[in-house]
Amino acid sequence: MAGPLAPERVSETTTEEFALDRPWVTVVWDDPVNLMTYVTFVLQELFGYDEATATELMLQVHNEGKAIVSSGPRERMEHDTSRLHAYGLWATYQRDA
Amino acid sequence: MKPFRRKGDQFVARLVDAEADIVNLLLDQLEQLLVADAADSGGDPVLARLLPSGHASDPQLAAEYRDLTEAGLRSGKADDLAMVRATVPREGGEVRLDAEQARAWLRTTNDLRLAMGTRLGITAETEPPDIDPSGEGADDENSQLAVYYWLTAVQGSLIDALAAGRGDRR
Repeated sequence: MAGPLAPERVSETTTEEFALDRPWVTVVWDDPVNLMTYVTFVLQELFGYDEATATELMLQVHNEGKAIVSSGPRERMEHDTSRLHAYGLWATYQRDA
Repeated sequence: MKPFRRKGDQFVARLVDAEADIVNLLLDQLEQLLVADAADSGGDPVLARLLPSGHASDPQLAAEYRDLTEAGLRSGKADDLAMVRATVPREGGEVRLDAEQARAWLRTTNDLRLAMGTRLGITAETEPPDIDPSGEGADDENSQLAVYYWLTAVQGSLIDALAAGRGDRR
């Protein structure tokens, strides 16, 4: 990875600190079972989105196959992913591309 | 089945005898699946869908996520399942749910649909079969598919009732 770090500083810790500068995201993926109304409901329930925002994200999942539903520090994205899994949505988290 | 409707703060539906039996049977099957050792059921696509990977491409992150969350996910599903079971009328009859029980029903009916949908290979193009879920004479796959679509109707009515309730609050 190209970056401003001097080679001798590329330790595990420094890489981790550097990574904190880049946000993580939680992604919901399309699947053939979850109802569109259910996905919209869950996004409102878990993230407090209004109906229009939740519907827009649901349609993005449906039409494009996936949508980013939240972003922030890694721990929070892990937590968001697990809350989505508790509702049976197909979700993953990753560093923002 | 009389679909879910909102009545005040509660959500009310009605199941006939055979439907209550089907729900109880499905709950038993889901319960067994959820207590199955992950090592014994490795590669089971249904369990993989109910307890999904947290990361798409990084096995180390996926393993860390699983260590952190899988036990809680399993116990949450077991708690939901117990709550649903307690509200299913044994011989059919009224199902009456408060807001917390309604959410347990939402999640559990979704898990049942995910499990059946995965086993049946449901796609966006799959059509409901033209039979009664409790009827005789259908072959096994058609019966399963009919139950899947019946669950879809149950869950769909509950989602609509909950969403309508939320609209009223604002």
